[in-house]
Amino acid sequence: MFSGLRERLQAARAKLGISIEATMTPQPLQETPSAVQSVVQNPGVFSEKPTFANKIKTLIIDRELIVSEKELSDALSELEITLLESDVALQVTDAIIAHVRTDLVGRHRKIGESVDGLVVGTLKGALLDVLGKGFDLTEYVRNHQRPVKILFTGVNGTGKTTTVAKIGFFLKKQGFTVVIGAGDTYRAGAIEQIEVHAERIGIKIIQHQQGADPSAVLFDAVQYASSHKIDVVLADTAGRFHTKANLMNQLEKIRRVMKPDLIVYVDEAVAGNDAVVRAAEFDKTVGADAVILTKADMDSRGGAAISIAHTIGKPLMFLGTGQAYDDIMPFSPNQMVEDLLGDT
Amino acid sequence: MVNNAEMVDQRELLTLEHYLKQYGQQAEIFAGQLELMENGRMEALAAIESLQGISDADDGTVLLQIGGGASLRVKVLEPDKVLLNIGAEVIVERTNKDAVEFLKDRITEMEASEKKVVETLDRLRNQMNEITKRLEQGYQQAVQAEQQYSPPAHGEED
Repeated sequence: MFSGLRERLQAARAKLGISIEATMTPQPLQETPSAVQSVVQNPGVFSEKPTFANKIKTLIIDRELIVSEKELSDALSELEITLLESDVALQVTDAIIAHVRTDLVGRHRKIGESVDGLVVGTLKGALLDVLGKGFDLTEYVRNHQRPVKILFTGVNGTGKTTTVAKIGFFLKKQGFTVVIGAGDTYRAGAIEQIEVHAERIGIKIIQHQQGADPSAVLFDAVQYASSHKIDVVLADTAGRFHTKANLMNQLEKIRRVMKPDLIVYVDEAVAGNDAVVRAAEFDKTVGADAVILTKADMDSRGGAAISIAHTIGKPLMFLGTGQAYDDIMPFSPNQMVEDLLGDT
Repeated sequence: MVNNAEMVDQRELLTLEHYLKQYGQQAEIFAGQLELMENGRMEALAAIESLQGISDADDGTVLLQIGGGASLRVKVLEPDKVLLNIGAEVIVERTNKDAVEFLKDRITEMEASEKKVVETLDRLRNQMNEITKRLEQGYQQAVQAEQQYSPPAHGEED
């Protein structure tokens, strides 16, 4: 998963390290200011603008070096291109670069301290900043009035129905009772598809005939959950593009009728920046409380996963990673950052 | 009286048919995705060929196809300046050589992704084959049971 992004970030990490490492050799006093190289210590402690006099004083008295922006500019430009080439949205790329720049420039570092640790720490901080906190669905269901109603929306062919089944399986494993509302009454075979899923994972399904009003189906699913003390209602819906006004109105009606606690937007990670743009549009029209990205196992670039939370301001909840019911992982920003920048 | 054909579980056959249909739909989606990736790869290969052709053209004159089999001789003003969409809808200027390198990297990336999609498709096809086999067995059993139960038609023994 995200192997291309990992390789690129590791290369950027090395480049940043080299830029700072090159600054570690103490230079004689007669050198020009630009030749005085520098490094950092304890990010967050020092952040004054490094002047030539400052650098020399710090180098001689404190045996410390200071990083200047000039020394990092090449490495930062390369990092910027790296992120853009990985389909990371422009505003997210800007935020990451700004974080790295602020964190590194003007910082002090003891001579002999690990440069790599410093770079990795800074990059991790920058990524964690844009990745947000994720969304703990188990915790949400546990602390919320039952039944928790979750409405799934998204464009066609991204794996929404399969995702509903996977979430059902996940919640069932966590000990919750679940009912699925077969709200995709439009696509041929969609009801049979979700019915087969529900049967295989042992979850009750509420369905009407193909062509029925999805609002009615999902209303029935909520009623069933209330009367049978079911913990969670998973509402599947037909895929639609945000540009189709009539279909978006239908989604709005569903929202009014079933009053979901959570609206989850589902798209595929391989769509890259398109997924980010579409998620923003859906958020504007019917709202979105969280996002699930499917087919993450096939996505080498990772741009959508990095960008979506920061761009639309809604957390990433799960990543779909395969065909089996348990091929879905709760999104953990720390885990993702570790996977991308860790040494293994 | 119970029909012997009912001994073959009709419900299981129906479920298997649903599974087969479902896997078929998934396979269609992945096949579509593979086609898109392959189109992207071919497009990148064509772009590399064009960039190299432009770079090799002595006076920068190339044939520009405008559709319908018609072409124009055009002179590329700056053959070493390529405007390239590097991702996230960001376009940067690269040299011809760097643009070719970028496209080659993209092709490698696409090939890796295609490989994963093909693996998934293979898995789906294997599962579909298994289901088809089980379905055929079930149908055969149903037919045999039907034949055993049905009395021979008049005249068949003559």
